[in-house]
Amino acid sequence: MKFLGLVGSLIWCQGLAPLAAQEIAVLYGSVRDSSGQPLRAVVSVAGGTQRSAADAQGRYLLRLPPGRQIVRVAHIGFASIIDTVPLAAGDSIARDYTLAAAAVELQPTVVTAAKRSQLLDQAVTSVAVVSDTELARRAVNTVDEAVDKAPGVQFLNGQVNIRGSTGYVQGLGSRVLLLVDGVPANQGDRGGINWDLVPLEEVQRVEVAKGAGSSLYGSSAFGGVVNVITRDIAAGWHARLRASGGAYANPPYEVWRFRDYTGGREGLDVSGSYGTNFVRGSLTAGGWHSDGYREQDRQNHWQAAAKGVWLPRPATRITASGSWASDQYEVPLVWCTRGACDDRGLTYQPFKIATQDTGTFTRSDKGYLTALVERTSSDHLAWQARGSWLRTRFTDLRQGADDFGLANRLGAELRAVSRPTAGRIVTVGAELARSDVRTNIFTGDTSSTDTVVRTHTQAEFAAYGESEQLVGRARITGGARVDYIAVDGGGLSAVVSPRLGGVLTTSRGAWRASLGRGFRAPSLAERFVSTTVPPFRVIPNPNLRPETAWSGELGNATRLASGLHADAAVFWTEAYDLIEPSVNGSAIQFRNVTRARLAGLDVALTAQRLIARLTTSLAYTFLYARALASDSAPGGPLAFRPKHLLTLSADYQWHAASVGGDFRYASRLERVELYPSDDRVAEKVLDLRAGVEQGPLSVRCRLANALNYIYNQVPRTLAPVRTLSVTLTWTY
Amino acid sequence: MRPRAPAAIVLAAALACNQGLEPAPVPTSCPAGFVGVCGTVTFRGTEPDSTDGVFIVGYPTFPQSRNDLLAFTPFPPPSSLQRPFTGAQFYTLRIPNGRYEWVVAVWKKTGTFAPNFSNADSLLKEAGFYRDHADTTTHGSGVVVVNSTGTDAIDFVIDFDEMHAISYYFPAPSQP
Repeated sequence: MKFLGLVGSLIWCQGLAPLAAQEIAVLYGSVRDSSGQPLRAVVSVAGGTQRSAADAQGRYLLRLPPGRQIVRVAHIGFASIIDTVPLAAGDSIARDYTLAAAAVELQPTVVTAAKRSQLLDQAVTSVAVVSDTELARRAVNTVDEAVDKAPGVQFLNGQVNIRGSTGYVQGLGSRVLLLVDGVPANQGDRGGINWDLVPLEEVQRVEVAKGAGSSLYGSSAFGGVVNVITRDIAAGWHARLRASGGAYANPPYEVWRFRDYTGGREGLDVSGSYGTNFVRGSLTAGGWHSDGYREQDRQNHWQAAAKGVWLPRPATRITASGSWASDQYEVPLVWCTRGACDDRGLTYQPFKIATQDTGTFTRSDKGYLTALVERTSSDHLAWQARGSWLRTRFTDLRQGADDFGLANRLGAELRAVSRPTAGRIVTVGAELARSDVRTNIFTGDTSSTDTVVRTHTQAEFAAYGESEQLVGRARITGGARVDYIAVDGGGLSAVVSPRLGGVLTTSRGAWRASLGRGFRAPSLAERFVSTTVPPFRVIPNPNLRPETAWSGELGNATRLASGLHADAAVFWTEAYDLIEPSVNGSAIQFRNVTRARLAGLDVALTAQRLIARLTTSLAYTFLYARALASDSAPGGPLAFRPKHLLTLSADYQWHAASVGGDFRYASRLERVELYPSDDRVAEKVLDLRAGVEQGPLSVRCRLANALNYIYNQVPRTLAPVRTLSVTLTWTY
Repeated sequence: MRPRAPAAIVLAAALACNQGLEPAPVPTSCPAGFVGVCGTVTFRGTEPDSTDGVFIVGYPTFPQSRNDLLAFTPFPPPSSLQRPFTGAQFYTLRIPNGRYEWVVAVWKKTGTFAPNFSNADSLLKEAGFYRDHADTTTHGSGVVVVNSTGTDAIDFVIDFDEMHAISYYFPAPSQP
């Protein structure tokens, strides 16, 4: 009560005499949360202009006219309090308030769905957002581990699927486009994605835009777009240190044991930044080592990233950023089957590899540089220009022969966002890209790959435009993009990708609908791969055409109750000329073979603090994925697409401590390729986590696959076993 | 709903469903639920030093020409039989329902196939096949029928001293 005494003295000395003279009353006190921590809350008079911001100790003081005053006490993240206070002239009344934590129902903004900033519920397609809070809470080590739990998203051995878009093609061509701060970052040669391109420490949030996005992004945005958005740099000095360590569970059965020690994983990342009102910069460096959870699975990873921002004028921002990562890792390939290793009398050994695959090793380096100029010229016009360079290099060291590829992807884009009239937003832009690869495996050579080294190029030119018009409570969007693609300087092939969409805000939430075209140009690897995969010869197909799709969805996002949100969408994709490996005699060749249909339902429910301190979510995707013999004749199921995908999450926060978990269920794959007769099971994985934050320190533990459920998603490739990791973060 | 209920549901669901992959001993008879053929192969003769592996496959119809040699099931072929290639060993071959006129063991020499298998003659040899006991034909008449279950006792001999190249069955076209 020292505080009250102090305030009383203060009032006595400085206030009472004038108060009495002016017929003014004083309301004072403190604002704290339920744990007793002071809050810098705002105490204001309803309908009036008087307000007081509490200080660091939560103390406030308001001078008010006498009478009954209605006072509102508010702080972000807490439920407001309305209090009626009778005040007599010259009197002073103490009121201490305790605010209860409440869901912060701020409408998030996204930048991926329309290539500009917009409110999430104004996007015409479904967008899932993984915030840095979720990244930290999950204590993951790579971006893909966190994105994996987003509704409708599934990773198959590192390959991302959005609503079943890609299946599994061992990294050769992704039907999902990866962006880093809006810059395309799929590999120039294989078209795949390096998820470790950006250090996790640098990631602010990840946006997953589902459905075809080619009307704005062109090739690869066939099934969706994943945009990794890096942290903004705050003013002043800041630093962060993240140390992690962990261990992999040993095989649950002695007969599967493959080493006499417990595998571990350890890593360290350090980042620092400094910013003023004019210039800002950050630097991150780190690395990790992993013993892996199976035989021949060790990996070393080193990375560095830097970002610089110059703010020469209030409405102008110039950003340069870059990242580099290097990996040296053993390649476990497929697990050992009977006779291919010391099988100990079993038909297969999931933790071991075939003797003939011993020594397979890959060295992979990748990096990017980006420069971006953003300018808001007026209230009606903003524009940006960027240039980017993505470089990847890999060398596969294996018995018999080594493969290598050195690829570059140079890109440039000019984009303008205009608001010519109230309620209308127009986005236009042009984009150029040039990819090249020098390689001894994607050569296009039909005889031998051992000694032939060739270079191939692919150039892409594109222009796009999209307009949004507000009509009453509806936002109508229409646009298109035209892409021209030339391979090795040959003739241009053109692809037009239109999209129409709309959002209608009603009392039953925001309804959204869209129909657009997606396409993916074949990667240089798919066109020119020439290698031997015993007993097959993989032969090139330079005449591959782009694969295309029409993709539509109808969705609704609504608030069912305070803190309870629901988002549901039905989606439908008709795919044409899907590029798939086709076996013909002793040869495998990529061909435009598959006509397919992917349809289904996405449902996501999020309950924030309906029960005190508990946040829960449910995400379910039903997927009907079928290859079609023709437009009307159904074929078999598409390979590597689970029919049911369910994710349940719960997190409980108590003061500075939190516990939580995720449960993921993916139904048994109806169809796989290569080894269709192998045993396979559904995916049922439980991840548990706990953490404590105290000032600048946080400690988080994660027990991934807590039940040590042994399963595989792709043939003869063991999925991660139970892994315990502890992450210590210090922030300055 | 009480505060701990959702977490308990998640945990219960996970625990209830935990039936992942488990060790699968090499069978000595057709496993339950298995669809295909099973049996015991008995090795004879001396295994060549250049052996890459020995594979068992099934042909719905006996190949009529060299072009039919790739019409086997399953495709690609399963893993090699287990080393050492001595004594007797039980095998299982997952193949779909149907009638198979030739269940055959193929010996493969170390080496890589050329495009279109043009060097198959030098890399592959027939090393034995299932036949009826009374059968005396060149390739046997041991028809095997698979009907939604494991067809057991498809036993035969693999004799490394009596292997036959492709040209034994289908002489190479004469060169001009």
